[in-house]
Amino acid sequence: MTTLTLTNLAKRYSRSVWGVRSMSLDVKDKEFVVFLGPSGCGKTTCMRMIAGLETVTRGRIILKGQDITDLPPKDRGVSMVFQNYAIWPHMNVYDNIAFALRLKNVDRKELNQRVKKVAQMVRIEPLLKRFPGQMSGGQQQRVALARALAVEPRLFLMDEPLSNLDAKLRVSMRTELKTIHQESGATSIFVTHDQSEAMSMADRIVIMKDGEIVQTGTPEEVYFQSANTFVAGFIGTPPANFFPVEWKNGKLEHPRFQLSPPPALHQAIENHGKNRLILGVRPESIQVVREEEALFIAPVLVVEPQGSHQIVAVQVEDEVVKLIMPPACGVQPGELLPLTFDSTRLHLFDEESQLRIPGY
Amino acid sequence: MNASKTPGLIRERQERMAPYLLIAPAVIYYAIFWLFPVLNAISGSFLSAPLKQGGEWTLKNYAAVFTDSMFYRALINTAIIVVVSVSLEFVLAFALALLINKKFRGSSLFLFLAIIPMSLPAVAVGAMWNSGLATNGWLNSALVHLGILGEAEKIPFLAGGQGANILLIILVDAWQVIPFMMIILLSGMQGLKPEMAEAGRVFGGTRWQVLHKITIPMLKQTIVTAMILRIIAAIQIWLIIVMIFGFNRLPVLMEQIVVNVDLYTAETFFRKGMALSVLVALIVSLASVAYLKASGALGAKKEEAS
Repeated sequence: MTTLTLTNLAKRYSRSVWGVRSMSLDVKDKEFVVFLGPSGCGKTTCMRMIAGLETVTRGRIILKGQDITDLPPKDRGVSMVFQNYAIWPHMNVYDNIAFALRLKNVDRKELNQRVKKVAQMVRIEPLLKRFPGQMSGGQQQRVALARALAVEPRLFLMDEPLSNLDAKLRVSMRTELKTIHQESGATSIFVTHDQSEAMSMADRIVIMKDGEIVQTGTPEEVYFQSANTFVAGFIGTPPANFFPVEWKNGKLEHPRFQLSPPPALHQAIENHGKNRLILGVRPESIQVVREEEALFIAPVLVVEPQGSHQIVAVQVEDEVVKLIMPPACGVQPGELLPLTFDSTRLHLFDEESQLRIPGY
Repeated sequence: MNASKTPGLIRERQERMAPYLLIAPAVIYYAIFWLFPVLNAISGSFLSAPLKQGGEWTLKNYAAVFTDSMFYRALINTAIIVVVSVSLEFVLAFALALLINKKFRGSSLFLFLAIIPMSLPAVAVGAMWNSGLATNGWLNSALVHLGILGEAEKIPFLAGGQGANILLIILVDAWQVIPFMMIILLSGMQGLKPEMAEAGRVFGGTRWQVLHKITIPMLKQTIVTAMILRIIAAIQIWLIIVMIFGFNRLPVLMEQIVVNVDLYTAETFFRKGMALSVLVALIVSLASVAYLKASGALGAKKEEAS
């Protein structure tokens, strides 16, 4: 069942400055959707329009069948976690969480139960009497979460809620947020610029650029079926490598190599009918092979150990190409690596439109 | 070992002395230019004449103040002006600050215009409104010119009773002082993260509830500062009153000091003025402490209640 529908939603700040150009999206019941994009792509603006903190220039917002486009924030049944927590320093934790419930005149007993329940959920029960000034960033973030959960919203909005936390806490909070989402079942929208955060948490990722949706899909879809070079170059740690190639005599020609694609891809390229293409290869799809099997040979620039694997940067023409290798394989800078591609995992894009060529 | 320890001890002692040496100039300055004159004024208020000229310790100066009906009129007028004008100024200044903080188009021009009255000295404000409020002054002329009043309907602003005069002073004072208060409140508001109020709106608050439960409590420190400064200044109002009404027509505490010390030359009046100024200083201190207590207590209660 659909919870939230955005139709052609747009926000214009001034005559020529658009925050969001046009956004159409359906969010299903209990879904965890992540808006992902670089800063300035309009993801936060879009969320603020849904919350009612930003007026809508054009388009409609429908929540559970009700048009909320012009309603004040308090009547929308949404709750929100802000990037810098925005918990009120003059109230203790209990009062922060109870604020919305008191305004709704929830009776004392139920209010107390609900505050206790969400405090337990985010594990801040012992802190209820504390003031925000006496708590760490991570604890404050939990209070903000509890406050947002307590109102049992129709829609749960989170605006980069983890970006002010330190790296370790950020990763552990991901798991916790996902657990809380599974427990509470609240339909959620989560805004972030961190693709690994998006990949690890989302049921569905909405990738945005310049105020428009570039691609919507599951983490697997956006990773393995990236809609264009922007998505392929944004998703992944490290992201995809690109090689400009030309389609000639049934082969993809690059100054350094010639590649015969598998039949399905061959057919798709033929159907597409254009010669100037961009080949995208994920780092783990580049393999080190014996010299006689190599597509090309490239010198190693840098080796970045990651523990479970290592990222090796090699030079191909003027480009830096990154690949993933197993740990402790003893590769040294300057060494020549014979490389080839996993031909079942190639991405091909039209050079002109930067879009993925369809049909493979 | 001794050789290495002794210089260390000396350095330690020097370090301990450093703060006292650093504040010494300020302490000396205060002793000479503040403490001495204050003590001098207090002791002077209990003397019939300078000690060197055979003055005696006495309470007559205070008796003269407390038997003067002008003192009581001045006390009541001052109290009315303080309560009414500070409340009025706070409400209007707060509203203006909220408005300017919205950052609408032209808000910086509006801010610029709004703070003009603050830059004028009290003498100029008094002179300006004195000539403005006179029956043939520019305010009446403007109203007649605009056709709001007939030539014969000019309002004798300055010829009203005591109540009307106080109201007039409160309005003129507010006109000058609102920008001052507004700027303090505005700077406080600009220090608040907008998310604080936004969170209030998302979590079910109307604009009024957000103002009442979030913005105002978070601005408490700023509000207390602004109010204290204004209360102290309002108790000491006199120059505008004298510029508009002259002496003794609308008696207030500070004006009565000037009247006694400056207008009359006899030593007894000078001594009475000194007594009065000690009393005013006392009133100002008490009012400030009372306000701080009240606002602090109110704040604590609110935190418990909400």
